Amino acid sequence: MNPRDEELVASAKNGDRGAFEELVERHKHKAYHIAFGFARDREEAKDLSQEAFLKAFTNLKNFDGRSSFYTWFYRIVVNLCLDYKRRQKRAPADEFDETVERQVEPSHEPRMPISPDQHVFAGQFSRKVDVALEALPAKQRTAFILKNHQGLSIKEIAETMQTAEGTVKVHLHRAVTSLRQRLAEFA
Amino acid sequence: MAVQNNPLSTPCKTFEEDLVLFHYGDLRGEEREALQSHMNGCAGCAGFLKELGKLLPLTIKTDEPGQTFWNDYSRELRHKLDAAAEKGPWWESVAIIFQPRLLSAAAGATVVVIALALTLGRGLWPTKDAPHDDAAMMEALPVAENLEFFRAMDVLDDLDLLESMGSQGAA
Repeated sequence: MNPRDEELVASAKNGDRGAFEELVERHKHKAYHIAFGFARDREEAKDLSQEAFLKAFTNLKNFDGRSSFYTWFYRIVVNLCLDYKRRQKRAPADEFDETVERQVEPSHEPRMPISPDQHVFAGQFSRKVDVALEALPAKQRTAFILKNHQGLSIKEIAETMQTAEGTVKVHLHRAVTSLRQRLAEFA
Repeated sequence: MAVQNNPLSTPCKTFEEDLVLFHYGDLRGEEREALQSHMNGCAGCAGFLKELGKLLPLTIKTDEPGQTFWNDYSRELRHKLDAAAEKGPWWESVAIIFQPRLLSAAAGATVVVIALALTLGRGLWPTKDAPHDDAAMMEALPVAENLEFFRAMDVLDDLDLLESMGSQGAA
């Protein structure tokens, strides 16, 4: 039987590196996808999620177990992503288009071939979504990404964002309304 | 997928937040039933829900890297963890200094050094209590002058003595 996260955390706290690496294997996909939801770039998402694991590793002694490990860890991921977005806003986004285009390319097994028109449209749409997401306030964007992209429950989002469930619902509603307005032409 | 210019549906304000939760499957029990029955007679709310169902999944940009990526990911992270474990956080190196055992040893060593410095260093450094030779001379000079005075006083005493002896002899 696989040990629970809490057991692995206890072992890792006692210096068991293998236990921490098991936690990495369990949570790396989700951490990466959360980071990708914010960064929308493969390399950035990889760096951000790895940084989150490093931060968790060095701060594991401070984890008191009041929340579950994944809630604590995803909070680290989200905070790093929000910091990244803040830094990115301060820096000029010259490479923006290139990033978007790269992500539009199929990243794994080939799918149905798409026509040049469809490709252009997909690129335009992706860019519009990026701009619309960028325009959302940080809390709305966080609630939206954790719900829409990651499928976390309202309770889990509230724990991750350290706020009330009602507040999460408000953020989510506002985010959806705003995105719907901005992407009205595609609805 | 094509760009459309259809006007957006207008949902009832009171149900808008619940419609978002309904879309994500987060509305349960009586609230869900109430909304469902409301939507049967409300084209605005039903249209809004339909739009969310069409639009929101499109906003998800998926990325499913292959196994090679994940292998590299784990290997790279392992190296970073090794480096972090070797280095340790900066405050650990500071905290080492403040360990009780080291702290008491350092305090003991400081006391010994101060005691040695006071014992062996006496006379090596000028202090306020030990004035320079010149200053000592300046302080001693008035005392020497006074000695002359006292010596003169002694002579006067002798004169008095002689006078008294003379007067006794005359008597």
